[in-house]
Amino acid sequence: MPYLGSEDVVKELKKALCNPHVQADRLRYRNVIQRVIRHMTQGLDMSGVFMEMVKASATVDIVQKKLVYLYMCTYAPLKPDLALLAINTLCKDCSDPNPMVRGLALRSMCSLRMPGVQEYIQQPILNGLRDKASYVRRVAVLGCAKMHNLHGDSEVDGALVNELYSLLRDQDPIVVVNCLRSLEEILKQEGGVVINKPIAHHLLNRMPKLDQWGQAEVLNFLLRYQPRSEEELFDILNLLDSFLKSSSPGVVMGATKLFLILAKKFPHVQTDVLVQVKGPLLAACSSESRELCFAALCHVRQILHSLPGHFSSHYKKFFCSYSEPHYIKLQKVEVLCELVNDENVQQVLEELRGYCTDVSADFAQAAIFAIGGIARTYTDQCVQILTELLGLRQEHITTVVVQTFRDLVWLCPQCTEAVCQALPGCEENIQDSEGKQALIWLLGVHGERIPNAPYVLEDFVENVKSETFPAVKMELLTALLRLFLCRPAECQDMLGRLLHYCIEEEKDMAVRDRGLFYYRLLLAGIDEVKRILCSPKSDPSLGLLEDQAERPVNSWASDFNTLVPVYGKARWAAISKYQGAEHRGPELPNTASFASSGPLIPEEHKETVQEPDSGALMLVPNCQLTAEYFEKTWFSLKVAHQQVFPWKGAVHPDTLQMALQVVNIQTIAMSRAGAHPWKAYLSAQDDTGCLFLTELLLEPENSEMQISVKQNEPRTETLNGFISVLETVLGTIGDIKS
Amino acid sequence: MIGGLFIYNHKGEVLISRVYRDDIGRNAVDAFRVNVIHARQQVRSPVTNIARTSFFHVKRSNIWLAAVTKQNVNAAMVFEFLYKMCDVMAAYFGKISEENIKNNFVLIYELLDEILDFGYPQNSETGALKTFITQQGIKSQTKEEQSQITSQVTGQIGWRREGIKYRRNELFLDVLESVNLLMSPQGQVLSAHVSGRVVMKSYLSGMPECKFGMNDKIVIEKQGKGTADETSKSGKQSIAIDDCTFHQCVRLSKFDSERSISFIPPDGEFELMRYRTTKDIILPFRVIPLVREVGRTKLEVKVVIKSNFKPSLLAQKIEVRIPTPLNTSGVQVICMKGKAKYKASENAIVWKIKRMAGMKESQISAEIELLPTNDKKKWARPPISMNFEVWQKRSLDPWRVC
Repeated sequence: MPYLGSEDVVKELKKALCNPHVQADRLRYRNVIQRVIRHMTQGLDMSGVFMEMVKASATVDIVQKKLVYLYMCTYAPLKPDLALLAINTLCKDCSDPNPMVRGLALRSMCSLRMPGVQEYIQQPILNGLRDKASYVRRVAVLGCAKMHNLHGDSEVDGALVNELYSLLRDQDPIVVVNCLRSLEEILKQEGGVVINKPIAHHLLNRMPKLDQWGQAEVLNFLLRYQPRSEEELFDILNLLDSFLKSSSPGVVMGATKLFLILAKKFPHVQTDVLVQVKGPLLAACSSESRELCFAALCHVRQILHSLPGHFSSHYKKFFCSYSEPHYIKLQKVEVLCELVNDENVQQVLEELRGYCTDVSADFAQAAIFAIGGIARTYTDQCVQILTELLGLRQEHITTVVVQTFRDLVWLCPQCTEAVCQALPGCEENIQDSEGKQALIWLLGVHGERIPNAPYVLEDFVENVKSETFPAVKMELLTALLRLFLCRPAECQDMLGRLLHYCIEEEKDMAVRDRGLFYYRLLLAGIDEVKRILCSPKSDPSLGLLEDQAERPVNSWASDFNTLVPVYGKARWAAISKYQGAEHRGPELPNTASFASSGPLIPEEHKETVQEPDSGALMLVPNCQLTAEYFEKTWFSLKVAHQQVFPWKGAVHPDTLQMALQVVNIQTIAMSRAGAHPWKAYLSAQDDTGCLFLTELLLEPENSEMQISVKQNEPRTETLNGFISVLETVLGTIGDIKS
Repeated sequence: MIGGLFIYNHKGEVLISRVYRDDIGRNAVDAFRVNVIHARQQVRSPVTNIARTSFFHVKRSNIWLAAVTKQNVNAAMVFEFLYKMCDVMAAYFGKISEENIKNNFVLIYELLDEILDFGYPQNSETGALKTFITQQGIKSQTKEEQSQITSQVTGQIGWRREGIKYRRNELFLDVLESVNLLMSPQGQVLSAHVSGRVVMKSYLSGMPECKFGMNDKIVIEKQGKGTADETSKSGKQSIAIDDCTFHQCVRLSKFDSERSISFIPPDGEFELMRYRTTKDIILPFRVIPLVREVGRTKLEVKVVIKSNFKPSLLAQKIEVRIPTPLNTSGVQVICMKGKAKYKASENAIVWKIKRMAGMKESQISAEIELLPTNDKKKWARPPISMNFEVWQKRSLDPWRVC
């Protein structure tokens, strides 16, 4: 919102902030700062008073400090040089005896989002990670992620990652969860945080201590863990059982997803889980929190796709009540349409019939379409209800009913007779394009069974000049020609008139072209017309089958509890498709008066920095080699590179394996800790398909690790890249130990 | 994770805006206003996608709260977070209204700072938050309070801080039940359930260990059908609960084995337990409306209410609200009991009865004069609403505090 006269406001506030009298009076000073923030909230550019605000940060008043820091975080990207002035105060606050001030300062400093701030925040973050107050540790852990985001193109700091991994064992539950979140962001390019067995079990044990947000987050991270044995799998499931009954619907859904994914090979376990969460889901569907109810309904629909009978006995729970918002009613109608079965069809249809006369036209139409959907299985009852609805002679109802009829006749030809009897008379109540098209199509295709079909079409032909929708005219042309084939005597005259109008007077090119096409087709002879217009249709029953195919649980388990069920699969695919091309695509309408919006280092740059460098090495995650294949290749290749690396003491295989995993190097085999000599075999593959096979050998007497690398395609530049990666990892691990 | 949080008034003016992540631009604030708040049609979904950014919104009276994200998050969690946010705000300054938000503007920014960091929910328990939020702010904290922060956050119990002292130790327990009922136009009950909440207000010193017993009449229905059969065998005495959930502080293992709820309560008000039951629901009242349209300008309404509970009980402060069409010009009301009045501003006849015993009946009849209109749209006939209080000592609820 660009305000007029914003300069005046800035000037006035600037004056007030400089006024020594105001500065002396704490409350007045804070009030002025509040006004600055208020204007900032409304979208006014307040960066003009940055200098004065920096001065205001040196205060003992914590509330004032918070406000000033909020201001600085917003405008620092615009005034990086001035923001540096504030760093001093912030650094001082980071060593304040009060943990709250320390936490606040650290959090603000990490959120400054300006280039060059990294060098100042690194030390405070490291100190914060070891702070005795967990409040500061929480902030510091997330600070690591913020710092990494600021760097953008920088490499992952191995030591920091290790420190974070070790903080996973922190006492404070929020620190633990923050560590996971932070690691996930830092290691995004390597595929995120690694959940191995010790970490997974540790997290499982800590679960009850976490709050609901933490539980939901951890459940999400645990999806990544693959239990080694069936026994372990069921142990985990038993541990998680109580979370299916959590009071937080988010945790319930998270746990459900984890169950579905872990038990992907045990369909009976999956079904059992879905039965267990039936209660909580139904409770959420009938809760007073509308939005939560909406989310739950979306998931119920997802489950119904695979288990159509799952909620059938609870159909009454999905009846709409008067006061519910529109979006819930629409969802409920969809659910009802899907859970219908032989036992409840009568009641459900009765209920839906009630909705058809609702005052909200939208809702009424949705209900009619739902009846149309049910009609594919329970044709007779539904057609009867729909026919009765035509009797109401309401415009918005009639048009939708006719459209439903059109689809129905196509899918269930057995109801054609009933539909044809219902049609006469409804042309008077249809005004919109969709409805007219449907009616005209029906009259054209099944005209021989409807006695007055030519006369209805004649009315349309008479009024064709005032018809506004070209689509209706096109439909009319086709329908009339079809009808002409079976009832030529009644149609010949008006077909001539219509063709004349379309060719001579019509302005719309598509309509005119179609008119000309039919005219020429008629010139070619009636047999030709029949051959073209009455050519065999595709088998209608196929569409029906395809539509109702049950989808296995595993096809959607990974989408459960995300936005996919909320938006629908197709729509989500469309949304996420562009996510990559974000910065090139059209942006949100930019009405904000200043452009602090873009990130300092746009994400796409991260990739482009790496890509043009052709010599750079990109290791592919998840390259899984079998031990046999490794052995065969190992013996068939020559050593491409051999070197020694200084090493002290024993090796911790677990740590090493985890660290290697981070850089996408897989461990094929490894000796036990403390074995002499100690050996390990590693493998990795880069994006061009080149394999690197490595042997690590630690002789007990020398304090050196011998590295031998073999490569299946001799290319020195990638080999050097790989060795430097390996060296970094070994160096980091060695450092920690000593 | 949540990229940003915005609060708007009904006109779409931004009251609070806080952006946590870089990927959310300033223009996101305007995008939501233009596409949702100022949109012509009804709200289609509480989740809106505008230019590949998802907006989750919740409405409280005429205030819009919106959470924004670009990630594929789980919807239930975001909504739960927004509810929590509302609860926390309500705990600090009461009702969420435009005026309250404007007055507590600084406080809300402080809260947003503590509850979310980098878009990830942090501590959201009101009790624990009180340590961090300094409403007066001017005084620098004392040594004692500082150590409190350190210990509070290292402690195992996230929902309670240490060193709470009260002169008098008090504990209040409310069982709030709401009956949800769906009735067909013919007066047949389609579905009914009771959702109940046990709300506790605790003002206890130190780290008290509370125990809360249930009598053995309670049967919590597990998934299997076995228990359901037992319920019917043991007769009407048992009270079946379809499902129940507890506050985080309750130790669930003890509940399963001993049927006792033991916990260390948070300080202040919190929801200890929530339950839902669908069996044996007796409706306390029946409302029977009769509406007759006499010509185009007159409407006759007759409403009968019947109390359906034990004659020894007494319902109080009964208020029945009968909606009238928008084009009402005048109303004549006759009622046998209580007072009734037509309130033009609310488009309703409000009928108040002070007291009513069980198994009684009362009726009201009204003649509504209408102004002739050209509006073809039918009157929606909104439902009649009713409020009342029934006080019961002990007998209703199966709960007993030890």
